[in-house]
Amino acid sequence: MAGQSDHSLSIFSAAEVEFIAEDEMIEIVPNIRMDALNLLCGDFGPFLPQIPCTVPLWLAVALKKRGKCSIRTPDWMSVEKLTQVLEAERESPREFQPLPFHYVEISRLLLYHAHDDIPEVYMVRSLIEDIRNVRFHKVESGLETISGRTHAVKLKNLSAMEVNLVRPFMARVLQAFYKHDSPEMVQQADTSASKRPQVVDRGPRRDLRPR
Amino acid sequence: MPDYYDISDILMEDEAVSVVFHVGANGVGLLDPGTETNSVEKGAKIDLPFWLAHELCRRRAVSITIPSCFGQKMKKDVQADAACVDLGTRYPYFYEFGCKLFPLVGDKSMGPFLRHTFASRYKEMLSKSHTASLNAIPKFVLRLSKEEYQLFEAARSSMVEFKKWRVRDLGLMKTTIVGHKRKTDLH
Repeated sequence: MAGQSDHSLSIFSAAEVEFIAEDEMIEIVPNIRMDALNLLCGDFGPFLPQIPCTVPLWLAVALKKRGKCSIRTPDWMSVEKLTQVLEAERESPREFQPLPFHYVEISRLLLYHAHDDIPEVYMVRSLIEDIRNVRFHKVESGLETISGRTHAVKLKNLSAMEVNLVRPFMARVLQAFYKHDSPEMVQQADTSASKRPQVVDRGPRRDLRPR
Repeated sequence: MPDYYDISDILMEDEAVSVVFHVGANGVGLLDPGTETNSVEKGAKIDLPFWLAHELCRRRAVSITIPSCFGQKMKKDVQADAACVDLGTRYPYFYEFGCKLFPLVGDKSMGPFLRHTFASRYKEMLSKSHTASLNAIPKFVLRLSKEEYQLFEAARSSMVEFKKWRVRDLGLMKTTIVGHKRKTDLH
């Protein structure tokens, strides 16, 4: 794990984020008959053939592996929607488009386990890759503008896996900038009090997207 | 204040600084290779490790002169191109050392200078660290100080781990993931 050497920056490994993502609900169409499942996290079923129902992703993948169902693609994963999102991402250089929080993990799991259930699977895969690349480059270019006075960095509509990717780096960078900045602020208060009107004022909030 | 158990702090404080003694000192002649008696004269210029110089400076026994790594030449180098300055081989503890030295020496411009150096190198480092691959170590890594190297490692290892997770079960499908190269990719 990337953050282990510094315990104050404990992060999740990618597999752990995937595990959390598996709690999302998804629609399946079972092809067997099964009684209702009474689990701790909820009751699902009873499963009747060809009647769609909503289950958590981990259950859907487990059933799919045993050939007991077929997974229905979520709405946001159609080619039209993804193309729309990609266009919008490319057009707005600072905003992120709203996407499901775990879209990376969900798409990967579905593309691996249920690729015969998804129409035009190769298109979907390459679209998601492109979306991911564009968003990540936006994150990087936004990070370039962090200066010493940044107290918080706000990234709206970022997904779980993307957040996890930049978390150790960003935390350390903010720490490093803070360390470099604080004694100078205190020292300069003596010499140049007239130049800076309020030394203890919080710096401008550095938004990575327009409000 | 330095972290007592932090190994990089300990190593950093071993750097030599040149000091000028305000008082004479007896019995510590081995600090000065040029004396005949076992003592150090007042006004002598000696090289001491930083932890010793720091303590003596607190007691006003010495005064520290700014070492060359923060001098005029370095300032000119940073102004020319901060990202190319080779901190890794020459001064791996550049930033920590500067932060410790800053309150002892009366040079007010050193703080902003450190921050300016860090900020300009950071921009350069940001894009490269995320796209660097596992095996190929880009040459600029050798130019990073210890602190910057930790940043670089954090970004790179999380990126690499994510890539491994992505292709984990895909096997033969790996070829469809290779997308178009972008200009920031370092492969």
